[in-house]
Amino acid sequence: MARWAKFMAWPLAWKVPLLVAGLMVGIAAMISQVVLSRLASDQESNLRLLTNAYLDGLSAAVLQPVLRADVWETFDALDRARSHYSGVDTRYVLVELPDGTVLAASDPARFPVQSDVPSEFKQHFSSIDDLVIDSSAGRAWLSRTLQTEGFSVGRILSEIDISELLRVRREVFFTLILVNGALTVAFALIGYLALKRMLQPLGVLTKYVERVREGRAEPIPEPKRRRISREFAQLFDRFNAMARALNERESLASHLAEQEKYAVLGKLASGMAHEVNNPLGGLFNALDTLRRHGGDSNVRESTLDLLKRGLTHIRNVVRSTLVIYRREESKKSVGAADIDDLRLLIEPEAVRKNLKLEWINDVHGRSPVSAGSVRQATLNLLLNACAASPARGVVQLRATSDAGSLNISVGDEGPGMPNALIEYLLREAPVAMPADDGLGLWIVRRLVADQGGSIRVVREGNFNTIVQATWPYRAEYQSKSDEEPAAAEEAVHV
Amino acid sequence: MLQSRIWRPRAEPFAVSRRQAIVGLAAAVAAPWTISPSSAATGSVTFGLTPLILDSDIKLLSLTQTYLANRLDRPVQLVKRRTYQEITAMLLSGQLDAAWICDDPYVQHQDQFALLAVPVYHGDPLYQTYVIVNEASKAQSFDDIRGTVHAFSDPDSTSGYLVTRYLLAIRHTTPAEFFRDSFFTYEHRNVVRAVAAGLAQSGSIDGYVWDVMSEREPELTSKTRVIYRSERLGFPPIVGLEATRDAALSKALSAAFIAMPSEPLGREILGILELDGFTHATPDLYHATLEKWLVVKAQV
Repeated sequence: MARWAKFMAWPLAWKVPLLVAGLMVGIAAMISQVVLSRLASDQESNLRLLTNAYLDGLSAAVLQPVLRADVWETFDALDRARSHYSGVDTRYVLVELPDGTVLAASDPARFPVQSDVPSEFKQHFSSIDDLVIDSSAGRAWLSRTLQTEGFSVGRILSEIDISELLRVRREVFFTLILVNGALTVAFALIGYLALKRMLQPLGVLTKYVERVREGRAEPIPEPKRRRISREFAQLFDRFNAMARALNERESLASHLAEQEKYAVLGKLASGMAHEVNNPLGGLFNALDTLRRHGGDSNVRESTLDLLKRGLTHIRNVVRSTLVIYRREESKKSVGAADIDDLRLLIEPEAVRKNLKLEWINDVHGRSPVSAGSVRQATLNLLLNACAASPARGVVQLRATSDAGSLNISVGDEGPGMPNALIEYLLREAPVAMPADDGLGLWIVRRLVADQGGSIRVVREGNFNTIVQATWPYRAEYQSKSDEEPAAAEEAVHV
Repeated sequence: MLQSRIWRPRAEPFAVSRRQAIVGLAAAVAAPWTISPSSAATGSVTFGLTPLILDSDIKLLSLTQTYLANRLDRPVQLVKRRTYQEITAMLLSGQLDAAWICDDPYVQHQDQFALLAVPVYHGDPLYQTYVIVNEASKAQSFDDIRGTVHAFSDPDSTSGYLVTRYLLAIRHTTPAEFFRDSFFTYEHRNVVRAVAAGLAQSGSIDGYVWDVMSEREPELTSKTRVIYRSERLGFPPIVGLEATRDAALSKALSAAFIAMPSEPLGREILGILELDGFTHATPDLYHATLEKWLVVKAQV
């Protein structure tokens, strides 16, 4: 069954020619059997006719000499018959008298005059006049009783060589094998080529379906639809309709993603405004304090420290936001600080929901992966985790790096991610986006997949959902170092 | 080859005389309605030949017929029969003008036959009898072939029967006693075939025939071996009836054979026969043959 299943899995372009070849072999075997059987039958029939004619002639020639017991005339007749009946390849022929002795033989040295016919020769002959054939030995034995006036006066015994007939039979057999073999191969080849040509549209369809898997749903162009069968034309039409629908959906999804991005941006802007606004009140109070009590050096120093802390906080918030959402114009790698920056962005949301952040950052040095991809994906995962967690719950971030990849896990104590969302995250092939995703996971999935990364969803301890994202190291991020944060800082100062 | 070897009845040595008388009487009675060999009415000459041995028989017959017709200026009819006995009987009964017969029938009817010409072979009008065995045989002499199956040529052949019969007679035995079995092949060439094939282990044959065959069919004679050669005997002659010895036809036939070496067609015939020519001879030439016949006759 397993072999049959394997065979059924073979391409049609192989299976059908093989099937044709198999049928041809079967038909050829049957035809060969019929031909050889008929040939053997005809040869035997012809041999009987020929040997009968041979014995008829020989009987007429030797009857009178046998009646006279004329050794020479009998021998002469037997000897001449060998050359006169060229169609019968006689090995020996002899006349046996009723007493079992040899009157004369074509081979007197083997069958001397007056000697008994050796039993080892006699056993080959039928007791009645008949033709006995031994195909394996390539011999036939024939006998004819010489009768006159109803009395037997002797018997002609002859052994003939039929190897020539068997050779012809073998030649026919090999010719059949050769011709049928050639025809089988030819038909199989023609079948293979014809089927390959017929299945060409399937190859085109497969190629375009493969492109869909790669995220490019392109309709099959018109030139490739020429000279195809009606079935494939219908299939191409349906595929093109599907490709158009996919493109429209993709376009819609991109549009929604853009909107979500702005929504998230607004949310973050709101959070950032809150983060900036909180110290602003203190800063203004500090300014008033300086205005009023600036002369006191102690007050001035403590107030300036307060101002510095407030401004530093604002600077950090601005810088982080700038780093996260600025357009990634260069190939920047990821360091531990890039991940820690995210904490500033997520903390307001955690505080708002009274959540505890467990921040475990074991990344050392720089990991050659897209900093933008890592940060945006991780931020989305953190936002989702905060959203899913109950009040006073714990949201955990664990970042590690090894020899080949950067791994970030985000866990929450929420009710656990629905299976539909898990499947959506894990499937490599394009799948429909879940209706309740809100585009956060869609962005994560896309960011990770674009960088050749992978996602796992596990459950561990109190964390009912841990999303583990892995980014493999990529060569294009190898050379970038820490100049980006400096540039970002400059941008903040500006 | 024109190989005339005429028959002699084995068991009835004098039967020919009786038969001759009967045939002669019948011929005389039926004379008005019988085709006479020398009949001037038909104008043709009838010439008898005993069984020939060579593959070129047809050509030889045609050439001989043409040669004789040209020489005699008359149509010539060549008559062939299977046995020597038939030709001898025809000649004695007057159905043939002349015939090439064996020396055995000649000596039996010497008083009735006239010698017209005798072939010359290797310079003399003589030949020998051979006794041959199969090449595989261990026999070295005539006495070694005792108990074998023997092939004779013709009961009226000197070389193919009489000489061997004579050798047995002087040993006071007969073919039936000496040989396990014997048979006649009615042709010297067939004796060689029978011995070569192993049908017979020994055979009696005309030495002239065996010699010619050994040149033309060595693949056949090489399977035989000569173990006995007789003394030289008178070559089988061309004879007519004594009664017509002085007839113009007899003289013309004699002259035609004697003149054979001088004419191209004659030389071609002699070439085929491997003879030197023909010559005149007297009955004395066949004295040795006569002696043998008398010995054999006395035993029977």
